[in-house]
Amino acid sequence: MIQILLSALFFMALTVGLYFAMNVIYLKYRWNALNPVLTTTTLLVLFLLLFDFTYDTYMYGGSVVMFPLGPAVVALAIPLYKQRELLKRHFLAITLGILVGASVGMVSGVLLAALLDFPTEIISALLPKSITSPVAMQISESLGGSAPLAAVFVMLAGFSAALAGPLMMKWLRIDSPIGKGIAFGTAAHGIGTSKAFEDGPEAGSMASVAMTLSAVAGAFLAPVVALWFGL
Amino acid sequence: MKFLWLTLQFLLVYGFYLAGEWLVNLFNIPFPGSIIGFLLLFAALCLKLVPLRAIEAGAQGILAFLPLFFVPATVGIMSYFDLFAGSGVWLIVIIVVSTFLTIIVSGLVSQSVAGTVDKRRQAK
Repeated sequence: MIQILLSALFFMALTVGLYFAMNVIYLKYRWNALNPVLTTTTLLVLFLLLFDFTYDTYMYGGSVVMFPLGPAVVALAIPLYKQRELLKRHFLAITLGILVGASVGMVSGVLLAALLDFPTEIISALLPKSITSPVAMQISESLGGSAPLAAVFVMLAGFSAALAGPLMMKWLRIDSPIGKGIAFGTAAHGIGTSKAFEDGPEAGSMASVAMTLSAVAGAFLAPVVALWFGL
Repeated sequence: MKFLWLTLQFLLVYGFYLAGEWLVNLFNIPFPGSIIGFLLLFAALCLKLVPLRAIEAGAQGILAFLPLFFVPATVGIMSYFDLFAGSGVWLIVIIVVSTFLTIIVSGLVSQSVAGTVDKRRQAK
Protein backbone atom coordinates (compact mmCIF):
# COMPACT_ATOMS: atom_id res chain seq x y z
CA MET A 1 0.00 0.00 0.00
CA ILE A 2 2.70 2.48 1.07
CA GLN A 3 4.64 1.44 -2.02
CA ILE A 4 1.74 2.32 -4.31
CA LEU A 5 1.35 5.67 -2.61
CA LEU A 6 5.07 6.40 -2.94
CA SER A 7 5.22 5.46 -6.61
CA ALA A 8 2.08 7.53 -7.25
CA LEU A 9 3.70 10.55 -5.63
CA PHE A 10 7.00 9.94 -7.39
CA PHE A 11 5.52 9.63 -10.89
CA MET A 12 3.24 12.61 -10.32
CA ALA A 13 6.18 14.78 -9.34
CA LEU A 14 8.33 13.44 -12.18
CA THR A 15 5.64 14.13 -14.82
CA VAL A 16 4.82 17.63 -13.58
CA GLY A 17 8.49 18.54 -12.99
CA LEU A 18 9.64 17.31 -16.39
CA TYR A 19 6.76 19.04 -18.14
CA PHE A 20 7.56 22.42 -16.60
CA ALA A 21 11.26 22.05 -17.40
CA MET A 22 10.49 21.08 -21.01
CA ASN A 23 8.02 23.94 -21.30
CA VAL A 24 10.73 26.43 -20.29
CA ILE A 25 13.04 24.97 -22.95
CA TYR A 26 10.30 25.14 -25.60
CA LEU A 27 9.42 28.75 -24.77
CA LYS A 28 13.08 29.66 -25.18
CA TYR A 29 13.61 28.13 -28.66
CA ARG A 30 10.05 27.62 -30.01
CA TRP A 31 10.91 24.75 -32.35
CA ASN A 32 8.15 22.26 -33.21
CA ALA A 33 10.44 19.37 -32.35
CA LEU A 34 10.74 20.71 -28.79
CA ASN A 35 6.96 20.53 -28.21
CA PRO A 36 6.76 19.93 -24.43
CA VAL A 37 4.31 17.02 -24.71
CA LEU A 38 6.65 15.30 -27.17
CA THR A 39 9.84 15.87 -25.15
CA THR A 40 8.26 15.07 -21.76
CA THR A 41 6.72 11.88 -23.15
CA THR A 42 10.01 10.76 -24.72
CA LEU A 43 11.96 11.32 -21.49
CA LEU A 44 9.31 9.56 -19.37
CA VAL A 45 9.19 6.54 -21.70
CA LEU A 46 13.00 6.29 -21.69
CA PHE A 47 13.00 6.51 -17.89
CA LEU A 48 10.34 3.80 -17.51
CA LEU A 49 12.07 1.46 -19.96
CA LEU A 50 15.53 2.06 -18.47
CA PHE A 51 14.43 1.29 -14.90
CA ASP A 52 12.01 -1.46 -15.89
CA PHE A 53 8.76 0.14 -14.73
CA THR A 54 5.48 -0.89 -16.36
CA TYR A 55 2.93 1.59 -17.71
CA ASP A 56 0.48 0.39 -15.05
CA THR A 57 2.90 1.32 -12.26
CA TYR A 58 3.46 4.72 -13.87
CA MET A 59 -0.29 5.29 -14.05
CA TYR A 60 -0.68 5.23 -10.25
CA GLY A 61 0.70 8.75 -10.51
CA GLY A 62 -0.22 9.39 -14.14
CA SER A 63 -3.96 9.02 -13.58
CA VAL A 64 -3.80 11.77 -10.94
CA VAL A 65 -2.12 14.12 -13.44
CA MET A 66 -4.82 13.24 -16.01
CA PHE A 67 -7.69 13.96 -13.62
CA PRO A 68 -8.41 17.57 -14.85
CA LEU A 69 -8.54 16.51 -18.51
CA GLY A 70 -12.34 16.22 -18.70
CA PRO A 71 -12.98 19.58 -16.97
CA ALA A 72 -10.40 21.13 -19.34
CA VAL A 73 -12.58 20.15 -22.31
CA VAL A 74 -15.54 21.84 -20.61
CA ALA A 75 -13.38 24.94 -20.06
CA LEU A 76 -12.94 25.29 -23.85
CA ALA A 77 -16.44 26.85 -23.79
CA ILE A 78 -14.90 30.07 -22.42
CA PRO A 79 -12.58 30.93 -25.36
CA LEU A 80 -15.35 29.94 -27.79
CA TYR A 81 -17.87 32.17 -25.99
CA LYS A 82 -15.42 35.08 -26.14
CA GLN A 83 -15.10 34.56 -29.91
CA ARG A 84 -18.87 34.37 -30.46
CA GLU A 85 -18.95 37.59 -32.54
CA LEU A 86 -16.37 36.12 -34.93
CA LEU A 87 -18.38 32.90 -35.05
CA LYS A 88 -21.60 34.78 -35.82
CA ARG A 89 -20.03 36.93 -38.55
CA HIS A 90 -18.49 33.99 -40.44
CA PHE A 91 -20.94 31.31 -39.36
CA LEU A 92 -21.46 29.67 -42.75
CA ALA A 93 -17.78 29.63 -43.77
CA ILE A 94 -16.70 28.27 -40.37
CA THR A 95 -19.34 25.55 -40.01
CA LEU A 96 -19.14 24.34 -43.61
CA GLY A 97 -15.33 24.31 -43.62
CA ILE A 98 -15.24 22.35 -40.37
CA LEU A 99 -18.02 19.88 -41.22
CA VAL A 100 -16.64 19.02 -44.66
CA GLY A 101 -13.02 19.02 -43.43
CA ALA A 102 -13.71 16.88 -40.36
CA SER A 103 -15.70 14.36 -42.44
CA VAL A 104 -12.98 14.09 -45.09
CA GLY A 105 -10.36 13.70 -42.35
CA MET A 106 -12.22 10.85 -40.64
CA VAL A 107 -13.37 9.00 -43.75
CA SER A 108 -10.02 9.20 -45.58
CA GLY A 109 -8.10 7.93 -42.55
CA VAL A 110 -10.49 5.07 -41.82
CA LEU A 111 -10.77 4.13 -45.50
CA LEU A 112 -7.00 3.95 -46.06
CA ALA A 113 -6.47 1.97 -42.85
CA ALA A 114 -9.29 -0.44 -43.76
CA LEU A 115 -7.79 -0.94 -47.24
CA LEU A 116 -4.48 -1.89 -45.62
CA ASP A 117 -6.30 -4.37 -43.36
CA PHE A 118 -5.49 -2.84 -40.00
CA PRO A 119 -7.42 -4.30 -37.04
CA THR A 120 -10.58 -2.52 -35.88
CA GLU A 121 -8.98 -1.50 -32.57
CA ILE A 122 -6.34 0.50 -34.44
CA ILE A 123 -8.76 2.02 -36.94
CA SER A 124 -10.97 3.23 -34.05
CA ALA A 125 -7.95 4.97 -32.53
CA LEU A 126 -7.06 6.49 -35.91
CA LEU A 127 -10.53 7.86 -36.62
CA PRO A 128 -10.41 10.93 -34.30
CA LYS A 129 -6.79 11.92 -35.13
CA SER A 130 -7.65 15.52 -36.16
CA ILE A 131 -9.47 16.20 -32.88
CA THR A 132 -7.91 17.67 -29.73
CA SER A 133 -6.38 14.85 -27.60
CA PRO A 134 -8.72 14.82 -24.58
CA VAL A 135 -11.79 14.43 -26.82
CA ALA A 136 -10.06 12.11 -29.31
CA MET A 137 -9.10 9.76 -26.46
CA GLN A 138 -12.70 9.57 -25.25
CA ILE A 139 -14.00 9.03 -28.79
CA SER A 140 -11.49 6.24 -29.39
CA GLU A 141 -12.47 4.54 -26.13
CA SER A 142 -16.18 4.81 -26.84
CA LEU A 143 -15.54 3.04 -30.19
CA GLY A 144 -13.51 0.29 -28.53
CA GLY A 145 -10.10 1.68 -29.48
CA SER A 146 -7.18 2.55 -27.23
CA ALA A 147 -6.86 6.02 -25.68
CA PRO A 148 -3.03 6.22 -25.64
CA LEU A 149 -2.83 5.14 -29.27
CA ALA A 150 -5.40 7.81 -30.21
CA ALA A 151 -3.33 10.44 -28.37
CA VAL A 152 -0.23 9.43 -30.31
CA PHE A 153 -2.06 9.58 -33.67
CA VAL A 154 -3.38 13.02 -32.72
CA MET A 155 0.19 14.20 -32.09
CA LEU A 156 1.35 12.82 -35.46
CA ALA A 157 -1.49 14.61 -37.26
CA GLY A 158 -0.63 17.84 -35.45
CA PHE A 159 3.05 17.70 -36.29
CA SER A 160 2.55 16.82 -39.94
CA ALA A 161 0.18 19.79 -40.33
CA ALA A 162 2.49 22.17 -38.46
CA LEU A 163 5.49 21.17 -40.59
CA ALA A 164 3.90 20.97 -44.06
CA GLY A 165 0.76 23.10 -43.61
CA PRO A 166 2.21 26.56 -44.34
CA LEU A 167 3.81 25.39 -47.61
CA MET A 168 0.68 23.52 -48.76
CA MET A 169 -1.51 26.53 -48.09
CA LYS A 170 0.84 28.70 -50.11
CA TRP A 171 0.65 26.34 -53.10
CA LEU A 172 -3.14 26.09 -52.94
CA ARG A 173 -3.52 29.84 -52.38
CA ILE A 174 -5.26 29.37 -49.05
CA ASP A 175 -4.14 32.82 -48.03
CA SER A 176 -7.02 34.41 -46.08
CA PRO A 177 -6.91 34.34 -42.26
CA ILE A 178 -10.24 32.46 -42.35
CA GLY A 179 -8.98 29.72 -44.68
CA LYS A 180 -5.67 29.31 -42.86
CA GLY A 181 -7.22 29.39 -39.38
CA ILE A 182 -10.01 26.92 -40.18
CA ALA A 183 -7.58 24.57 -41.95
CA PHE A 184 -5.11 24.56 -39.03
CA GLY A 185 -7.78 24.24 -36.33
CA THR A 186 -9.75 21.51 -38.11
CA ALA A 187 -6.79 19.37 -39.20
CA ALA A 188 -4.38 19.96 -36.35
CA HIS A 189 -6.14 20.98 -33.08
CA GLY A 190 -3.89 22.72 -30.50
CA ILE A 191 -0.62 22.28 -32.39
CA GLY A 192 -2.21 23.79 -35.51
CA THR A 193 -3.80 26.58 -33.49
CA SER A 194 -0.47 27.73 -32.10
CA LYS A 195 0.93 27.61 -35.65
CA ALA A 196 -1.99 29.75 -36.86
CA PHE A 197 -1.29 32.33 -34.14
CA GLU A 198 2.21 32.75 -35.65
CA ASP A 199 0.40 33.91 -38.78
CA GLY A 200 -1.55 36.58 -36.89
CA PRO A 201 -4.25 36.99 -34.25
CA GLU A 202 -7.12 36.68 -36.73
CA ALA A 203 -5.99 33.30 -38.11
CA GLY A 204 -5.21 32.22 -34.55
CA SER A 205 -8.67 33.03 -33.20
CA MET A 206 -10.23 31.30 -36.21
CA ALA A 207 -8.13 28.22 -35.52
CA SER A 208 -9.10 28.10 -31.86
CA VAL A 209 -12.79 28.36 -32.80
CA ALA A 210 -12.27 25.62 -35.42
CA MET A 211 -10.40 23.39 -32.96
CA THR A 212 -13.24 23.56 -30.42
CA LEU A 213 -16.09 23.21 -32.92
CA SER A 214 -14.40 20.37 -34.81
CA ALA A 215 -14.12 18.51 -31.49
CA VAL A 216 -17.87 18.92 -30.99
CA ALA A 217 -18.63 18.01 -34.61
CA GLY A 218 -16.21 15.09 -34.40
CA ALA A 219 -17.91 13.68 -31.32
CA PHE A 220 -21.18 13.54 -33.29
CA LEU A 221 -19.65 12.40 -36.61
CA ALA A 222 -17.41 9.67 -35.16
CA PRO A 223 -20.14 7.14 -34.26
CA VAL A 224 -21.75 7.69 -37.70
CA VAL A 225 -18.49 7.07 -39.57
CA ALA A 226 -17.74 4.08 -37.31
CA LEU A 227 -21.17 2.59 -37.98
CA TRP A 228 -20.76 3.17 -41.72
CA PHE A 229 -17.47 1.24 -41.78
CA GLY A 230 -18.74 -1.39 -39.38
CA LEU A 231 -16.19 -0.62 -36.64
CA MET B 1 -8.53 34.99 -1.17
CA LYS B 2 -7.65 34.92 -4.85
CA PHE B 3 -6.80 31.23 -4.51
CA LEU B 4 -10.18 30.49 -2.92
CA TRP B 5 -11.94 32.36 -5.76
CA LEU B 6 -10.01 30.35 -8.39
CA THR B 7 -10.83 27.09 -6.60
CA LEU B 8 -14.53 27.96 -6.58
CA GLN B 9 -14.38 28.73 -10.31
CA PHE B 10 -12.63 25.43 -10.95
CA LEU B 11 -15.35 23.63 -8.98
CA LEU B 12 -17.97 25.34 -11.15
CA VAL B 13 -16.25 24.04 -14.32
CA TYR B 14 -15.97 20.64 -12.67
CA GLY B 15 -19.69 20.73 -11.86
CA PHE B 16 -20.52 21.16 -15.56
CA TYR B 17 -18.20 18.26 -16.36
CA LEU B 18 -19.93 16.04 -13.79
CA ALA B 19 -23.34 17.04 -15.15
CA GLY B 20 -22.20 15.98 -18.65
CA GLU B 21 -20.88 12.65 -17.41
CA TRP B 22 -24.04 12.08 -15.37
CA LEU B 23 -26.29 12.70 -18.40
CA VAL B 24 -24.22 10.37 -20.60
CA ASN B 25 -24.45 7.61 -17.98
CA LEU B 26 -28.14 8.23 -17.35
CA PHE B 27 -29.07 7.74 -20.99
CA ASN B 28 -26.34 5.16 -21.52
CA ILE B 29 -25.02 6.79 -24.71
CA PRO B 30 -21.45 6.15 -25.94
CA PHE B 31 -20.56 9.84 -26.14
CA PRO B 32 -17.87 11.92 -24.39
CA GLY B 33 -19.49 13.41 -21.28
CA SER B 34 -17.01 16.27 -21.37
CA ILE B 35 -18.47 17.48 -24.69
CA ILE B 36 -21.97 17.49 -23.14
CA GLY B 37 -20.55 19.48 -20.22
CA PHE B 38 -18.94 21.86 -22.72
CA LEU B 39 -22.26 22.39 -24.53
CA LEU B 40 -24.08 22.95 -21.21
CA LEU B 41 -21.53 25.57 -20.13
CA PHE B 42 -21.60 27.31 -23.53
CA ALA B 43 -25.42 27.43 -23.38
CA ALA B 44 -25.34 28.72 -19.80
CA LEU B 45 -22.97 31.52 -20.86
CA CYS B 46 -25.12 32.48 -23.88
CA LEU B 47 -28.29 32.51 -21.76
CA LYS B 48 -26.42 34.60 -19.13
CA LEU B 49 -27.17 31.95 -16.48
CA VAL B 50 -23.45 32.01 -15.64
CA PRO B 51 -21.68 35.37 -15.93
CA LEU B 52 -18.34 35.18 -17.76
CA ARG B 53 -16.36 36.74 -14.90
CA ALA B 54 -17.62 34.07 -12.48
CA ILE B 55 -15.82 31.33 -14.40
CA GLU B 56 -13.28 32.90 -16.78
CA ALA B 57 -10.16 32.96 -14.59
CA GLY B 58 -10.67 29.40 -13.35
CA ALA B 59 -11.29 28.06 -16.86
CA GLN B 60 -8.27 29.85 -18.36
CA GLY B 61 -6.22 28.49 -15.46
CA ILE B 62 -7.12 24.90 -16.37
CA LEU B 63 -6.58 25.49 -20.09
CA ALA B 64 -3.08 26.89 -19.49
CA PHE B 65 -2.01 23.40 -18.35
CA LEU B 66 -4.05 21.36 -20.83
CA PRO B 67 -1.00 19.77 -22.54
CA LEU B 68 0.33 18.54 -19.17
CA PHE B 69 -2.91 16.65 -18.48
CA PHE B 70 -2.57 14.38 -21.49
CA VAL B 71 1.13 13.55 -21.10
CA PRO B 72 0.29 10.37 -19.10
CA ALA B 73 -1.88 9.23 -22.03
CA THR B 74 0.85 9.73 -24.62
CA VAL B 75 3.28 7.81 -22.39
CA GLY B 76 0.97 4.85 -23.10
CA ILE B 77 2.69 4.62 -26.50
CA MET B 78 5.29 2.43 -24.75
CA SER B 79 2.82 -0.46 -24.86
CA TYR B 80 2.54 -0.10 -28.65
CA PHE B 81 6.14 -0.04 -29.85
CA ASP B 82 5.90 -3.40 -31.66
CA LEU B 83 2.96 -2.00 -33.63
CA PHE B 84 5.09 0.77 -35.13
CA ALA B 85 8.03 -1.56 -35.70
CA GLY B 86 6.04 -3.62 -38.24
CA SER B 87 3.45 -2.47 -40.76
CA GLY B 88 2.75 0.47 -38.47
CA VAL B 89 4.93 2.73 -40.61
CA TRP B 90 1.96 2.76 -42.97
CA LEU B 91 -0.11 4.28 -40.19
CA ILE B 92 2.17 7.31 -40.25
CA VAL B 93 1.74 7.60 -44.04
CA ILE B 94 -2.05 7.34 -43.65
CA ILE B 95 -2.11 10.03 -40.95
CA VAL B 96 0.01 12.41 -43.04
CA VAL B 97 -2.04 11.91 -46.24
CA SER B 98 -5.37 12.19 -44.42
CA THR B 99 -4.21 15.30 -42.50
CA PHE B 100 -3.14 16.97 -45.76
CA LEU B 101 -6.55 16.22 -47.28
CA THR B 102 -8.22 17.76 -44.22
CA ILE B 103 -6.13 20.94 -44.55
CA ILE B 104 -6.90 21.27 -48.27
CA VAL B 105 -10.65 20.67 -47.97
CA SER B 106 -11.36 22.71 -44.83
CA GLY B 107 -9.13 25.57 -46.03
CA LEU B 108 -10.56 25.78 -49.53
CA VAL B 109 -14.20 25.33 -48.46
CA SER B 110 -14.09 27.96 -45.69
CA GLN B 111 -12.13 30.43 -47.82
CA SER B 112 -14.42 30.18 -50.84
CA VAL B 113 -17.62 30.30 -48.76
CA ALA B 114 -16.32 33.38 -46.92
CA GLY B 115 -15.46 34.98 -50.26
CA THR B 116 -18.93 34.32 -51.69
CA VAL B 117 -20.67 35.60 -48.55
CA ASP B 118 -18.53 38.77 -48.60
CA LYS B 119 -19.40 39.47 -52.25
CA ARG B 120 -23.13 39.07 -51.57
CA ARG B 121 -22.93 41.38 -48.57
CA GLN B 122 -21.16 44.02 -50.69
CA ALA B 123 -23.72 43.66 -53.50
CA LYS B 124 -26.55 44.45 -51.08
